[in-house]
Amino acid sequence: MSTDTKTATVVRKSNANWLFGLTLIGLLLAMCIVLSLTTKSFLTEANIMNLMRQGSMIAILAVGETFVIITTGIDLSVGAVVGFCTVIAAWLLTHDFSITTTIIVTLAVGVAIGMFHGFGIVQMGLPPFIITLATLTSLRGIGLLVTNGATINIVNDTFTEFSRNDFVGLPNLFWMVILVGIPAYIFLHHSRYGRYIFAVGSNMEAARLSGVNVKLTVYLAYTLSSTCAAFVGLLLAARIGVGNAMQADGWELQAIASSVIGGTSLFGAIGSVHGPLIGAFILATINNGANLLNVNSFWQRIITGLLIILIVYFDQLRRRRG
Amino acid sequence: MIETNLHGQMAEAAVAAASVPILELRGLEKRYGATHALKPADLSFARGEIHAIVGENGAGKSTLIKLLTGVITRTSGEVFWEGQPVGLATPHEAIEFGINAVHQEVVLCRHLTVAANMFLGDEDVNFGLLRKGEMTRRAQAILDDLGFQLPAHVLLGDLTIGQQQLIATARAAIRGTRFLIFDEPTAYLTRTEAAQLFALIGRLKERGVTIVYISHRLEEVFELSDRVSILRDGTLVGTRVTSETNETELISLMINRSLEQIYHKEFFQAGEMLLEAKNLSGPGFHDVSLSVRAGQIVGLYGLIGAGRSEFVMSLFGRQRKTGGSIFWQGKEVDIRSERQAMDLGIALAPESRRDQGLCINLPVGFNLNLPIFSHITMAGLVPFSADRQRADRQIADLQVKTSGRGALVSSLSGGNQQKIVIGKWLNHGARLFIFDEPTVGVDVGTKAEIYRLLARLLAEGAGIILISSYLPEVYELADELHVFRRGEDIARHAYHTASHEEILSEAIGV
Repeated sequence: MSTDTKTATVVRKSNANWLFGLTLIGLLLAMCIVLSLTTKSFLTEANIMNLMRQGSMIAILAVGETFVIITTGIDLSVGAVVGFCTVIAAWLLTHDFSITTTIIVTLAVGVAIGMFHGFGIVQMGLPPFIITLATLTSLRGIGLLVTNGATINIVNDTFTEFSRNDFVGLPNLFWMVILVGIPAYIFLHHSRYGRYIFAVGSNMEAARLSGVNVKLTVYLAYTLSSTCAAFVGLLLAARIGVGNAMQADGWELQAIASSVIGGTSLFGAIGSVHGPLIGAFILATINNGANLLNVNSFWQRIITGLLIILIVYFDQLRRRRG
Repeated sequence: MIETNLHGQMAEAAVAAASVPILELRGLEKRYGATHALKPADLSFARGEIHAIVGENGAGKSTLIKLLTGVITRTSGEVFWEGQPVGLATPHEAIEFGINAVHQEVVLCRHLTVAANMFLGDEDVNFGLLRKGEMTRRAQAILDDLGFQLPAHVLLGDLTIGQQQLIATARAAIRGTRFLIFDEPTAYLTRTEAAQLFALIGRLKERGVTIVYISHRLEEVFELSDRVSILRDGTLVGTRVTSETNETELISLMINRSLEQIYHKEFFQAGEMLLEAKNLSGPGFHDVSLSVRAGQIVGLYGLIGAGRSEFVMSLFGRQRKTGGSIFWQGKEVDIRSERQAMDLGIALAPESRRDQGLCINLPVGFNLNLPIFSHITMAGLVPFSADRQRADRQIADLQVKTSGRGALVSSLSGGNQQKIVIGKWLNHGARLFIFDEPTVGVDVGTKAEIYRLLARLLAEGAGIILISSYLPEVYELADELHVFRRGEDIARHAYHTASHEEILSEAIGV
């Protein structure tokens, strides 16, 4: 640990985050250009709008998931929360509750689930993997029990039309990404508790000894994740017009993948809001492109897997070298 | 002195003549950058001797062990194994020669059985299948033979740490060990367990195994060893035949140092009472009473594990006290959380930079401002400008060598990291600063800067609790010095009223 040798190699890394973000956008654009040249249908208004809708919901989930991953945690329950919340929303609407009430109650359910995760981790000392795995399976179970395994149809045009309509040329669903993304960005990078999320993920003991309320920070991260998932539940219910507990199967893995592709480190303390958003749209573009190119849908899963390995490997290389 | 030296050399010559030394070090040296961890040392170990090594914390004992076991490579010097020059560059090579070490913390698998641990990496296999029953029987036979009353079939984690240490020793004993290093083996042992360990060491010696025994407990050194070597500040200051020396001589060799005049001490009029602990007890310490006034440094000296850090962690609300009371500026307080301690005006720079002090993979500015984000938050947001200004000012004030506030803490040298651990509290407006080993692994220049910083804090009316395992540091800086041993505050001395020898004897308990 000599002073002279170390200071010589000091590297500025704060800008690397943005650089990585630009690389991801570059990758996304490159994929779009290749697809526009190779297929006739990619660069059509209908397809682009569709792509935006497809990517939006995973993007919102990925933002919530990122808060949790930065604290070195994991939230496996987000897909199940989405499915469960479609049931809640559908049940409320079919029982003549207003749309406002439906939104408030569904989001409150999300908050409650997140608080429960926080309770399990902070008070009961369970590993995040376990407590969220437990809610993953039980929420699907509760949803099936409530509906007796059936699907609830939503007959409320105002509610369902929302997801199909556009605003200033962009799909409403995409506006929702912006609605979540901007406050999330301000929260994570410019507020006190956003910074505490990084501190807890970097060194919980150092954070605690610096006066950070570690317990509250953990509660907050999981609550934000579940609330984002509940919000996506509302959007999905509107998009497909039904409530069904088995919806959004495997979305937690897509959310985690988006977050990781977006540069979030599973070892904690590294992550952003823009990264997971771009990551989600990269995944959506892969799926969309594979469909247009008539690639067997089974291949899509394989390609996604390879892409995760590749991107994270290069990200690791970059960090190690720095 | 000269006479004993002569005796020592004669005895050494006699031992050496008996046979070629099993291991000989010539000019062995280790540098970490600017830090000279071990200055060139010549030392030889005879076959079948018990060779004790003593020295204060940080004297270079662990560096020597790491060199001998191939964990780190030497900067220069030669090593001879049975007269042949060897590299000894990897742990594997050391084990091949039959060099093993038993550490203070047991490095075995707690979730495997005792027998599985004893044969780990060397399992008894029949057609690819483990012969578990056979291994348990053999392990039990070995344990019985050694006179340990321990079962071989239970999980290692179910044993006490002392018992685990015995298993670790037994494991080394059955592996054809020829050179066995014990690093503070009795730190966690009960008296009976220690006796069993000593019996085992005696048997190994009879079998011709060379033992290197490192301990703070001088009575053990006299009970066990044939010769004893003394390390001080990375220098091998001498080797004595144990029967021809005594505790007084060893202690004076351990601390007779050439003091570099870096201790910056200013005296201030003791001001108002800041903190008073009365008969405080908690996990790791018992019945401690002390008080700190403004303008005063209270030093806590003791060996590692003497309960000093645990005591201050309780003052800081990290661990709950189990008895006694704390008064803050005359009023009794019940400190339940770190936040509460901080709000009262207590700041703590913890012992371990990496584990407790820093978010190592986050930027310098982030770490400096972490305790004060709550102060500078406006309307729920942390204003960029305040964040930037505070960080830049701190970096300039503390002369942190970094490319800027955005550089990651992991890219800084140890000394500069330590400046951040301390510096992040300076803006917080605390009255009582607790510094736990503030200068460990820090170069001399930074040390001097840190000492000047302490004087500045005192001048501003703060009080300081300074923990150090390096006696000259607390000796030269503390207005009042408390000596801790095994969780108890056993002595207190005003500035320079006791000698180094007295204080070290109190800490070791001879």
